[in-house]
Amino acid sequence: MRGPRVYLLLAGAAFRAEFQYRGNLFINIIGGLFYQGVGLAFIWAVLDRFGQVGGWGLGEIAFLYGIRLTAHGLWLLPGHQLIHVDEVVIEGEYDRYLVRPVAPLVQLLTRRVRLSSLGDLAGGVVLLSIASASAPVDWSPGAVGFLLLAVVGGALVEGSLQLAASALVFRMKRVSPIKFAIDMIFSDFGNYPLKIFGPVAGFGLTFVFPLAFVAYLPATVLMGREEELAVPDWLAWGAPAIGVVLMYAAYRFWERQSRHYESSGH
Amino acid sequence: MTAPATARASAKTVPVSAKRPLTTLLQAYLACARMEFRAALTYRTAYLSSFAMMLLQIWLLTVVWKALYDGRAEVDGLSLTTTTAYATLTTLQYQLVSPWRSSPIDQRVREGKVAVDLLRPVGFPGQMLSGQLGWASAAVPVLLVALPFALLIGAGQAPASTAAGLAYPVALLGALLVNQLLGLLLGMVSFWTLEVSGALMAYRFVAQFFSGALVPLWFMPGPIRVAAEWLPFQATAYTPAAVYLGQIEGPGIAVALGVQLAWIAALGALSAFVWSRARRRVMAQGG
Amino acid sequence: MPVIEVADLVKEFSRPTRQEGRFAGLRTLLTREQTVKRAVDGVNFTVQQGEMVGYLGPNGAGKSTTIKMLTGILVPTSGTVTVAGATPWRDRSRNARRIGVVFGQRSQLWWDLPLRDSLWLIGRLYDVPEARFRERQRQFSEVLDLGPFLDTPVRQLSLGQRMRGDLAAAMLYDPDILYLDEPTVGLDVIAKERIRTFVGELNRESGTTVVLTTHDLDDVEELCDRIILIDHGRVAYDGAVDELKARYAPHRELVVQTDRLESVEGAEVVRREDGKVWLRFDPVRTPPAELVAAVLAQHRVTDLSIVEPELESVIHRIYADRG
Repeated sequence: MRGPRVYLLLAGAAFRAEFQYRGNLFINIIGGLFYQGVGLAFIWAVLDRFGQVGGWGLGEIAFLYGIRLTAHGLWLLPGHQLIHVDEVVIEGEYDRYLVRPVAPLVQLLTRRVRLSSLGDLAGGVVLLSIASASAPVDWSPGAVGFLLLAVVGGALVEGSLQLAASALVFRMKRVSPIKFAIDMIFSDFGNYPLKIFGPVAGFGLTFVFPLAFVAYLPATVLMGREEELAVPDWLAWGAPAIGVVLMYAAYRFWERQSRHYESSGH
Repeated sequence: MTAPATARASAKTVPVSAKRPLTTLLQAYLACARMEFRAALTYRTAYLSSFAMMLLQIWLLTVVWKALYDGRAEVDGLSLTTTTAYATLTTLQYQLVSPWRSSPIDQRVREGKVAVDLLRPVGFPGQMLSGQLGWASAAVPVLLVALPFALLIGAGQAPASTAAGLAYPVALLGALLVNQLLGLLLGMVSFWTLEVSGALMAYRFVAQFFSGALVPLWFMPGPIRVAAEWLPFQATAYTPAAVYLGQIEGPGIAVALGVQLAWIAALGALSAFVWSRARRRVMAQGG
Repeated sequence: MPVIEVADLVKEFSRPTRQEGRFAGLRTLLTREQTVKRAVDGVNFTVQQGEMVGYLGPNGAGKSTTIKMLTGILVPTSGTVTVAGATPWRDRSRNARRIGVVFGQRSQLWWDLPLRDSLWLIGRLYDVPEARFRERQRQFSEVLDLGPFLDTPVRQLSLGQRMRGDLAAAMLYDPDILYLDEPTVGLDVIAKERIRTFVGELNRESGTTVVLTTHDLDDVEELCDRIILIDHGRVAYDGAVDELKARYAPHRELVVQTDRLESVEGAEVVRREDGKVWLRFDPVRTPPAELVAAVLAQHRVTDLSIVEPELESVIHRIYADRG
């Protein structure tokens, strides 16, 4: 098992490097928590007055939000460094990755760690735990298992989109606006039951931009609200598998695109 | 091409210690503002895409509010059209007044560029503030272009009254100043600790929420609303929007503008104090 | 046995054509026109096991593009590169284990960690057995004198220290081939000498093949027996350093310290200064011994020496000739 061992080795080095800036550590985690807190405060403030959105009450929305946040944190923890793909490629740091016997993507992801992602993950887990207790879900072992798979699948869906967008850097040189847009769509649309956006946007956010698979579809079937879905039940239950498929496709795309790497200064 | 040249020229011609006529000083600040204006336009893709995202956000907020109203004519005495107009307005304002790009100080300190800034014969806080205003003004032309689309996607309303129409620009200017002063204060923290990114992050989220840019203050649950009213952030988004829509009216307008002014005075004094400490610190450490 | 084989190697870069006139920036952004630049244009050469080759050329000649294809960083547009039997960019991991790379401008080490940690990590990444790792580290600590800064974070090292650390990291896993890209750039004379001595010994003792690109031709004169000269993406010269000098600068100069010297048969006076006279001659037609004898026979000479042409001036002449 060379792969995981090498990953842990490099991630450990990044952690040790990060500990050189100790003061930062704590404040970054706090920053991550605030990010989550504000999104939640918005929903709380709104639902406190309005009671429900699209027939979903605070408990249901919090459950949906919890799944999305946990998935987001779970992706961010290993995937955060993709944010820096522009500078890594433009400034030629990527050269170094290519002359070491480790997959370049692994080296990119372990170049540093950002502990704010821990805050994101912790916030998500806490929220999801609380929301799971109050959400109208029949918690059989199967349901718990599906929830865990759904969270991992959600992380893979978000990660695959970010990875595919990052892969364009080898040709486009500057992809951060695209990645920022993806992130924004996730945080703007990901926290509501998709049906409130109408059928066209609902279709788009399922089959064009697969946001629905992150949290909306799994949350809906777990709460037994299948009747409001515009897609067949099996597709909603298959959401975790979609994450795996998309991530595989995104990684292949990354590998193909990385051949267009031009280094810097010929 | 002319902006950086002007900046350099004015930096050279303004004598360091002599009392400067007000016009030269203003020219120097104007040069700082123009440089930042150009810089904002340099990143075209980022610039344009931020406007696409603004439209997306307006659409999203309209849809969400509509779903929340769920057919009701009024909630807490506020109609859906007022609420969506508020959302549209605050999103548009956000391009000008946003805690997200409030101060470049921490970056300049980290890259060691502050030394250069300090050598310029224009006061450092003034440089930073005018630079920020320049950056914000880069949003104006595209705001004008985006306005019809924003109104098409979201909802627009004429100012609630003549008084509202007249008071709005004043309140917006007040919002801009409060926001920049907050940013300046926070940015200056980086003179003491280099790593402020985490704190800045936290500040931005808090500022964004309590400014009322996401949820109008009138919909906030009791204790949060009280907190929001006592914090300076509401002056940066809620105040101008509420004045425009007539949610603050009559003598209330004067009070709201007075509160803004009080914040500007308080934050200005605090900035001056912090800057005097920071400058001594920078001098001691040699940048 | 050849370890590096390069055949008909070509690398092209294409860029959107830069537009001019009004709205130039915006039009460049939108244009579909591409300008193709051929950085490497049909390069062929082989390098034998244990050779030390200087790969030289002016800026923009295609030098670093070639090196990047040899190391597997860039994928060639056409042609083939074979390094130790494998295609570097396709078989990246296998290639990486056989090569050591040092970029003078950019460190391979972990910036925020002590040098010791970087070396340890490299050892683990390349699966160096524990005993061998310890032996190598001890060796390098001695030869490169790493001891005093092994526990210093890399970002705090001086350029010379960092370069020594980078060399140790690149050789830790006993690669067959070492690529050095401007290894002495920005270093002082003593640090340069130290690096050269290390590389020279490495090659003599372990038979490591070294490919060196540099602007400092002293590096080349001291280390390399062979140079490959590249210009405009093509090989301009490939052969021994001496042969290059013989071909492009066949003349030697005899510097004589003497009272008065008007002329000597078989040589030409090219310069006079401070009581010294420079005589240029062709050693094939006028054997140096005869020339020296002729000079000594007619003049009172207090000092004399024969000057070899400097590689630097030779190479300048070649580029000048090629225009």
